[in-house]
Amino acid sequence: MSEWQDLVTASLIGTERAEVPAPAVPGLPVRADAVPGDPAALLLDRAALLTVARRGGTLIRMAGSGFQAEPFGVAEPDPARAVSPAAGRRLARMLGGEHPDLLAEWLTAVVAHGRRIPPRLLPALLDRARRVSPSDPELRRLSAEAGGARARWLARLNPDWTFVTALTESGDDTWRLGGKSQRRGYLAALRARDPAAARELITQSWAAAGPERVMFLSVLANQGLSLADEPLLEAALDERDAEVRGWAAHLLARLPGSALGQRMARRAAGCLRIERGVRGTRLIVTPPADCDAAMQRDGVTSRRGGRAEMDGRTHLLHEVLARTPLRTWTGQFGRTAEQILAVPSDAWAPVLFTGWSRAAMAQRDQDWMTALIDWALAGGPTGTLFGAETLRQLARRADPARCARETTAAPAAEIPLPIRDAISVLRFRYDMLKELEL
Amino acid sequence: MAERWDRERVLALAPDAPSQRTALSLASGRAWPATGAAAGADAVWGECRGSAAAPYRTVVDLSGPAYRCSCPSRKFPCKHVLALLLLWSDGSVPDDAAGPPDWAGSWLMARAATAGRAPSGEQAEPKDPGAAARRAVQRETRVSSGLAELDRWLCDQARQGLAASQQAGYAHWDDIAARMVDAQASGVAERLRALASVPHSGAGWDGRLLEEYALLHLLAVAYRRQAELPPPLRDTVRSRIGFSLRQADVLAGGPPIRDHWQVLARRDLEQDRIRTRRTWLRGRKTGRDALLLSFAAAGQALDDSLAVGADADADLVFYPGAVPLRAAVLARHDDGAPDGGPPDGGTIAGLLAGYAAALAADPWLDSWLAVVEIIPVRGPAPAVRGADGGDGGHAGALPLHPGAGDCWPLFALSGGHPVTLAGEWTPRGLWPLTAWDETGRAVPL
Repeated sequence: MSEWQDLVTASLIGTERAEVPAPAVPGLPVRADAVPGDPAALLLDRAALLTVARRGGTLIRMAGSGFQAEPFGVAEPDPARAVSPAAGRRLARMLGGEHPDLLAEWLTAVVAHGRRIPPRLLPALLDRARRVSPSDPELRRLSAEAGGARARWLARLNPDWTFVTALTESGDDTWRLGGKSQRRGYLAALRARDPAAARELITQSWAAAGPERVMFLSVLANQGLSLADEPLLEAALDERDAEVRGWAAHLLARLPGSALGQRMARRAAGCLRIERGVRGTRLIVTPPADCDAAMQRDGVTSRRGGRAEMDGRTHLLHEVLARTPLRTWTGQFGRTAEQILAVPSDAWAPVLFTGWSRAAMAQRDQDWMTALIDWALAGGPTGTLFGAETLRQLARRADPARCARETTAAPAAEIPLPIRDAISVLRFRYDMLKELEL
Repeated sequence: MAERWDRERVLALAPDAPSQRTALSLASGRAWPATGAAAGADAVWGECRGSAAAPYRTVVDLSGPAYRCSCPSRKFPCKHVLALLLLWSDGSVPDDAAGPPDWAGSWLMARAATAGRAPSGEQAEPKDPGAAARRAVQRETRVSSGLAELDRWLCDQARQGLAASQQAGYAHWDDIAARMVDAQASGVAERLRALASVPHSGAGWDGRLLEEYALLHLLAVAYRRQAELPPPLRDTVRSRIGFSLRQADVLAGGPPIRDHWQVLARRDLEQDRIRTRRTWLRGRKTGRDALLLSFAAAGQALDDSLAVGADADADLVFYPGAVPLRAAVLARHDDGAPDGGPPDGGTIAGLLAGYAAALAADPWLDSWLAVVEIIPVRGPAPAVRGADGGDGGHAGALPLHPGAGDCWPLFALSGGHPVTLAGEWTPRGLWPLTAWDETGRAVPL
């Protein structure tokens, strides 16, 4: 279509200085004869005619201009079913900014149910996963897994998303030669498939791993933690690197049957007792006296961090409670979690709430989490900043189906903010997990 | 209590996407120490903690809807209003039997008082037919001299050369557009205002500017010689200039066409704080395409009654024109309209042949309903290829509109397989709007 280009050139120069070309339009007679009148109007007349002719003849124009790119293969069929439309809408809401911190839980549930993300939402999900990591490498792994074959196909088209194939198509070479994040991806994938093999690989690589040991432990933290991991973790308590020791103590405290758990139970047993007195049954609290070297080895720290609201011994009690197996208390008192929480504990209630809550979340103890949430929602000790933050975390980890009472009632105006938020999160998670079962 | 709005309706009020996002992050009980809703008065209010020492006070009259917020934001409605409505939509705002606090109550009362005084029947019929006729003659005179001026301006551009346009500022087009507003040729003014961005639209800008100037020149000439035109084309010319018909007159005037209209695609545009929703329909029996337009000022909701992917059993009346596309709904008969499933996707050759035929009747037509069976491909830019491979012997591919971006959701949906796609075909490419997934569900893109 050089005729159009001739007209454009003439229009750029202007008819004061350029001749008006006479283009041929297929199917119309050429009118090159001199036309009287304004050459500018003539130029516009001819341009209008050619514009419409060109628009009408688009296909011919396009065929030769580089758009014959072949499609790049076809995505493999994915045997897994996509999640329900309602679940897809919820994912869109989360990607749009609503409760983005629950995305990992949602994806984990999708993978557990063997379902797939609706393809149309994959681009937004992969973009999110790319942006948030490396602060959350789990989200990349979960997105790649829940995305299935379609996500792998997309990753071949967009270099931004190569992490999907890097995670799913990695072989042993990745472990030997890959960078830290590829090695992490390889290890996490192995841990998901075969926890024992991942543990074996970590044990073999430990001596030479140096700063990567923290990464090893963070992979253990995310999946399949069990008592079989204890020897590795117990040995890590004597490492030089404080961060490694911290991780090891943190993970051992999540295993109620660990030796660390037993040591904590012995330290904690003397701290709490139930007495029947003239004022009725009461929980009597005696915080630990000091923090010895053995306690420090088990991860108890005398540093109070942001919790300046506690004095030294109260803080120590909180640290011990947070690591003590919860069955210590149900065993010692012969009462259920609910019954224990019902015993008046006076001024100690806030520290008992936060300490036990941390223990319940670490040990994934749903009985205790449910009881603690009930306590908090019934006006329990969440008045402090730390208490409010603890309730925020509980609401994100407790089984929302067991907090059904709270998820149905509409929140009233006089309810404090942390509780209103907890209710709204529990309700959101309840719906979100229910939808995935359909 | 007013019917509780759903989230989509609330989010649709947002003046722009950033407002939506900030509103979502603000819509948490944490930011709102006090909220309430009137049981009978259709109002919601709340105090939001912001950066200032005093909380922002936000109140919404749901019957309007109308809003007021003490924050300094110039967006309307502001993020606080949106967040408050989101909370309310979520059921997180408690009913307050005691009624609104004074700061909200006084505003609501003042509004109720004004509403009582508002005159009824704003769009009354013209009272005096003689005066109406005089106004019509006056308008023709204005448009006629306005378009003559436009044509002189266009010829001046062609005489002096378009090369200078790249240095010209927005004022270059805004001035002539303002003169067309004065001349009551609003359609022309809109086209002119849109031209200011063309010189900076990348390679080929000169050709695109020439195309637009040429078509405006054609419009001015067509108006001057409208007596020689067949009546449908005359209607097209006049409507493109800005002579608008009242919807009531269109509905009363034309024959209604009843069909099961498939709602295929929807596109929302915004210009000068007015939002326009374009909804594309295709009749299952008649095979006719129809375009419904809905307008809303910022803060008002667009018409949401036709959901993409559904069928509507309705009587439509078409606006007159050489290619009647724009229509209005006269009546709906949705007692049991079947949910018809995906449309039949055509070929690219069929789409272009249909567009070419329509262009022969209306040369200014620059958006046309496309329903095609395609595979998206990535050449130098995202494009679509006919699904049957050859597309009738012409291995043709169509570019996607550059403004539509990467179109990743379309690629994700296809996975390299053919999909049925509905969109707007324009001279710059196909703007993808809806695709149907393998279960036959419509997915807005």
